[in-house]
Amino acid sequence: MARTHQAAITMLIPVRDGAGERLEQALTNLGADPVAGPVPFGRIDGLHFARMVVIPPTPGLDSPPQLAFLLDCDSPARSRLRRIVALGGDALDPVLECCEGYPEVGKRSQSARYRYLRDHTRSTAAVYVNTIGRTVDQIHREEMLREELECFLDSRSWVGQAPSSVQAALREFAAGRSDLHWALSPAPKPGVFWRLRNKLHLAAGVVAGLVALPFVVLGAIPFAIQLRRLEKSDPAPRVIPDDEHVRALAAIEDLTLQNQFTAYGQLKPGRFRRYLSIVLLIGINFGARHRFNQADLAGVKTIHAARWLFLDDKRRVVFCSNYDGSLENYMDDFIDKVAWGLNAVFSNGREYPRTSWLIKGGAKDELAFKSYIRAHQVPSPVWYSAYPRLTAVNIENNARIRAGLSAQFDEAEAARWLRRF
Amino acid sequence: MSDLELDDIQGLVARGYGRLRAARFFALTFGDPAAARSWLAQVSGEVTPASSDPHDSAVHLALSAPGLEALGLPGETLAGFSLEFREGMTTEHRQRVLGDFGRDDPGGWRWGGPDNAVAHALLMLYAPDESALLSLVGRHQERLDTAGIAGAATLGTQDIGDVEPFGFRDGISQPVLDGFGRDGREADTLEPGEFVLGYENEYGLLTDSPTVAEASDPRKLLPRGQKDGTRDLGRNGTYLVVRQLEQDVAGFWKYLDSLATSREERDRLAAKMVGRWPGGAPLVLSPGQDDPALEKANDFAYHESDPHGMACPVASHIRRSNPRDSLDPDPGTDDSVEVNKRHRILRRGRSYGPRMTVEQALAGPDGLERGLHFVCLAGNIARQFEFIQHTWANNPKFAGLYDEVDPITGPRDESGATFSMPDTPVRRRITGIPAFVTVRGGGYFFLPGIRALRYLAAVSEGGGGAG
Repeated sequence: MARTHQAAITMLIPVRDGAGERLEQALTNLGADPVAGPVPFGRIDGLHFARMVVIPPTPGLDSPPQLAFLLDCDSPARSRLRRIVALGGDALDPVLECCEGYPEVGKRSQSARYRYLRDHTRSTAAVYVNTIGRTVDQIHREEMLREELECFLDSRSWVGQAPSSVQAALREFAAGRSDLHWALSPAPKPGVFWRLRNKLHLAAGVVAGLVALPFVVLGAIPFAIQLRRLEKSDPAPRVIPDDEHVRALAAIEDLTLQNQFTAYGQLKPGRFRRYLSIVLLIGINFGARHRFNQADLAGVKTIHAARWLFLDDKRRVVFCSNYDGSLENYMDDFIDKVAWGLNAVFSNGREYPRTSWLIKGGAKDELAFKSYIRAHQVPSPVWYSAYPRLTAVNIENNARIRAGLSAQFDEAEAARWLRRF
Repeated sequence: MSDLELDDIQGLVARGYGRLRAARFFALTFGDPAAARSWLAQVSGEVTPASSDPHDSAVHLALSAPGLEALGLPGETLAGFSLEFREGMTTEHRQRVLGDFGRDDPGGWRWGGPDNAVAHALLMLYAPDESALLSLVGRHQERLDTAGIAGAATLGTQDIGDVEPFGFRDGISQPVLDGFGRDGREADTLEPGEFVLGYENEYGLLTDSPTVAEASDPRKLLPRGQKDGTRDLGRNGTYLVVRQLEQDVAGFWKYLDSLATSREERDRLAAKMVGRWPGGAPLVLSPGQDDPALEKANDFAYHESDPHGMACPVASHIRRSNPRDSLDPDPGTDDSVEVNKRHRILRRGRSYGPRMTVEQALAGPDGLERGLHFVCLAGNIARQFEFIQHTWANNPKFAGLYDEVDPITGPRDESGATFSMPDTPVRRRITGIPAFVTVRGGGYFFLPGIRALRYLAAVSEGGGGAG
């Protein structure tokens, strides 16, 4: 049975007192070549993205800095982690020995390393995947397919031919190539078991929503009153990021066509913001799984994968994403397209620009929002992408090229399909 | 809107001086700061305000971050300028944003690069003709000499008509600022804050502006700041970007000629790359041939008439420099136009080098350099100029493409650029397109309001009061 759904692994590991600088150095060493270096993420099948980032402590909260080790992979996730340990081996030690409780030198077997990482696995509050069920293997194959088809198209003139005959020629070309004829059958889907479970998940969510509905109705007015009271009184200071901090972030941005983003923040005090965040992230997780799972996150088509984590007994939240293009473009997308969604979640964090009615204002305060983002962002010294030169839009288009290759089209449909090249 | 302070805003914001055909720009390096300040005091009295539309001459002055520092502006005030302005055009990250590698690397620039003299200021002189310009230049040169100010670069320009050096009509599409008394299409009419600090921008907000402490402005030269106890140094000013772009006109036409079997096909290929015919007619309105009646046509959008780029390729120069209504969130709607309006620039560039016709170009290079001193104004360099450059023009992934930078200006390595022309039944694709444009210099400047220039002329070293 094909198992093609993705899984997000989140490992959160407290950093030992005083080991921060050594850890930074060790991470920089690993990050210098994440594809084929000491820990060769490029050799892990089914791994979309990997990241190691240190979440600094927040003043006033009694918690050490934490190493977040994050993987976005095709299931089965555990076997990907095992493979990382097997291939990385003792190259992981310089990083992990800066963390609390790592086995002593003589006791660092492969299985000890794996157990250590597994034991630090934490649940992820909300996960977004651009398209559920699209594997790394599929992404790479379909890009190869497109390139081959493009070259085939370049090899002759098609002027005057009917679209359907061009389609037929492309299909014939792929069929005649032993390395391409896989493309004539549809891409594998998530397994039956997973799909069934997913349907149950959806049904359970809907039932839970219906059960909660009377309470939501009853609670709406007190909720709104409390929300507005807090929104008016919560401090919303304009934070100004330090130049050096911004330079450190920019130094590892735009190196390729994708970028990584990690930001963290402390929730505003009080149970209201805490429970609201919990409910919202449950909602986001649900929405990402059942609604925004086909290459479009409420109008934003540049995010490959994203996740939200709670830290420190749900007093802090971390947001991570892998996206296409520059941060400026990413932030503008947020402001122009999904400010409401960002506001709802982030406005429960301190220093966020003032919102009204949870979803208005906030990110619409352009420069205040951009400063907030920079100030709360942390650089990821280790970051790996399995397809750094493909945008999410490219990947989606490739999948449709593959699907159309063997589709029964009329002339108009074939013409539309050919525009994908 | 009548509250724009046109007598304080430099006139370059309001107009490009089409009547003043001769122009020369000077990148300057200050010597003694006191001498530089007294020079500034003199020049600031001559800077042309937006309230006048001169027939005889125009003078403009912009300052770089090192220039402001050299004049003695204190660090905490400098910190109020945007980071990209303070860092300048040539940091490693900005090189990636702007695509300045290989032949465009700042290390090889003639001016504005890390190995060149620091450009503290940019003096821009305009006159109706060359002889008037010469006397204006002479007068300014004398003052510069007296003040011990050296030339980091002299950017001469040449009037070759309304075309840019490749021979295409230029400067047709410009945003119009609400309040400058000109009418424009709704889609081109922008809030003045997009180009002038101190006024609302397209978000309905004020762009961050540098301020000074009230005490350091005892003569009250500057307007009041947003915060109590401050004076606004940035109000009525804007950021100014310069890029010297050398254009290989002979290379451009010879390359296209090598791909084509006829003159018509050659011109058509060139037009496809640009998105307009040489005469100016946009391909969206006239896909088949140039049309003099449409030479300045700008009232068009993409989504309704040409959603897939069959007429004007998605990858073409004008479609990606100003995508109009063609991008997300919802192509063809006001929503998309609204987003587009947040990424516009006011272009004020001038060509240099003699005109080369297509016939001359096909005969081969004549050894003369030609190109464009690209100049643009923006209230927010990152959201306007850099965004256009990185997310649109230089982005191989623009609007769903795979590997296609701007065929004219986009950066490319030895293997060249790729360009697709959507067609039926399937696109035609050209690969291995060589570079036709090379960056030779550039910098980020600030074009202050005239009162701010006067304030700067009186600022004392170490951040004290202007007395």
